[in-house]
Amino acid sequence: MTLKYAYFPGCVAQGACRELHWSTQALTQALGIELVELKKASCCGSGTFKEDSQLLEDTVNARNIALAESLKLPLLTHCSTCQGVIGHVDERLKEAQEQRPEYLEQINGLLQQQGCSPYQGSTEVKHLLWALVGDFGLEALQARVTRQLSGLKCAAFYGCYLLRSQHHLPFDDPHSPESMENVFRAIGATPIYYRGRTQCCGWPLSSYATEQSFQMAGGHIQEAIAAGADCIVTPCPLCHLNLDSRQPEVEQVIGQKLGLPVLHLPQLVALALGISPKQLGLDRHVVSTLPVLDKLGVPSRA
Amino acid sequence: MLVRFQVHRQTLDTASRFQTFDLEVDPGNTILDCLNRIKWEQDGSLAFRKNCRNTICGSCSMRINGRSALACKENVGSEVARLQSIATSAHTPLPEIPTMTIAPMGNMPVVKDLVVDMQSFWNNLEAVDPYVSTSARQIPEREFLQSPEERDRLNQVGNCILCGACYSECNAREVNPNFVGPHALAKAYRTLADSRDAQTDSRLDRYSEGTEGVWGCTRCSYCDSVCPMEVAPMEQIGNIKQSILDRASSTPVQEAPRPIRHRQVLIDLVKEGGWIDERKFGLRVVSNSFRDLRGLASLGPLGLRMLAKGKFPLSFEPSEGVEEVRSLIEAVKAKESRE
Repeated sequence: MTLKYAYFPGCVAQGACRELHWSTQALTQALGIELVELKKASCCGSGTFKEDSQLLEDTVNARNIALAESLKLPLLTHCSTCQGVIGHVDERLKEAQEQRPEYLEQINGLLQQQGCSPYQGSTEVKHLLWALVGDFGLEALQARVTRQLSGLKCAAFYGCYLLRSQHHLPFDDPHSPESMENVFRAIGATPIYYRGRTQCCGWPLSSYATEQSFQMAGGHIQEAIAAGADCIVTPCPLCHLNLDSRQPEVEQVIGQKLGLPVLHLPQLVALALGISPKQLGLDRHVVSTLPVLDKLGVPSRA
Repeated sequence: MLVRFQVHRQTLDTASRFQTFDLEVDPGNTILDCLNRIKWEQDGSLAFRKNCRNTICGSCSMRINGRSALACKENVGSEVARLQSIATSAHTPLPEIPTMTIAPMGNMPVVKDLVVDMQSFWNNLEAVDPYVSTSARQIPEREFLQSPEERDRLNQVGNCILCGACYSECNAREVNPNFVGPHALAKAYRTLADSRDAQTDSRLDRYSEGTEGVWGCTRCSYCDSVCPMEVAPMEQIGNIKQSILDRASSTPVQEAPRPIRHRQVLIDLVKEGGWIDERKFGLRVVSNSFRDLRGLASLGPLGLRMLAKGKFPLSFEPSEGVEEVRSLIEAVKAKESRE
């Protein structure tokens, strides 16, 4: 049976990390997974709506979920933050259905006033990582690998929202997760364990407390290098922005050269399926990904 | 069952090491029971804090198998089950003898073994002035009355036993020693939410300052995920932010400090485009729409770097649902201002 999802692109994959959008497309096509893009969806608020009001976060994301519900599909994210926010709203609202129906009525009232479909609680919100691990399956993924990533040492960087926003995680312990590492093993790469893999990248502070934010990022990158990593791999484009796009500033703050490539999860998996680096936008990173491609013996222009 | 304990040992003048103790225990034994037996039966020099044995006093917080928790609350059975499920998901076999790793809390210096110096924790608590102030009120004849509903608002935060688990894992505290920490801000909210407190405005000013208060939080959710009393400190930090943002809503966005502008601009941009136009976000938040020239200059290298790599978003496509989203956000705002 073909796997099919309502694809929630999120802001960053349509802006500064378009390579994430391209690589999710390339990966799912290669695996025969069908995506229907939610063209009418909107920003999840990245945890900031909630700081303004819980009702705002719940209502805007109830609308996002309802868009997937009307297609009768699970909502697919490829950003830890989008997953944590929308996934937790889904948890809250499903709980409200049982325990606080008047709250849900309030939200659905607002939605219907504006001509939106009401939230029904009839679908699921899943990160691409969970879709790979749970729906597609790691054995099936392993069978599709055409380019074993043997010898490539990958350090996962999960993103806080993926691990600790929802109360129930389908596969992982929030303090000792293994999903990313399992994906690495399935495609022939070697997982590298280091403390920073479950910690904050510093992005939420980067607009106003840059020094603290970059110290955080710098500490994790240093640890990953010390543990022998060839690259960091993240399921979160916001982490990617702080770890990759701002790595030169991070280097300045901690006073040390780093130069560690940071890959998006679908880029890494798609490489193992033989998809070309160019198609995955691996030439669009601030920190060159050439050392990774060299190690794998993949020509960068292929 | 036979269980192995890898316990962190350290004194002020020696490097840390892990010492192994094997113990025959019942699954129902708490980690604290086990540490007591190690101390009484195997090595009397092992140091750890303990008192009530009953999740009340908050003394025995430590890192148990990778996260801060109370030794008197977690038991051998549930820890073994947790280790088992982690090992199963990693497809690695569990060691023949289940092994518990016990280490001191983080973000505080070790005094000995599992005992840390909590001075900064207490100082930071004091820094938020966690006492209900009735100074501005006339002293009533008998007492300050509070309705049951008003009292109920304090229940969740009131459960804090000041064990330090949240502070130990706080990612923001790790890079910012001036950040007062989740425990202090949860208590700050408890004071703010108290109907008898008469210093709301000065508290909001104080908690909003620099990155010592709420804006120092990086939203890593570690505090919420380890709190043994379900106080949810990050939620309480969010509640304080809500009050600060409510109060700032009448201030023009360009006059707001950057953390507040960050929040206001984000909502404005979603109303404008459905998705966030990152170019506008940077310009409006960091350069304050060209008013803050230093902020603008700080964006320069990032912008040029992104341009050079073809990463700079040259175009922006609004969501097809932008009008719906805009009217929805406005409807929520209107509803809230009526209430």
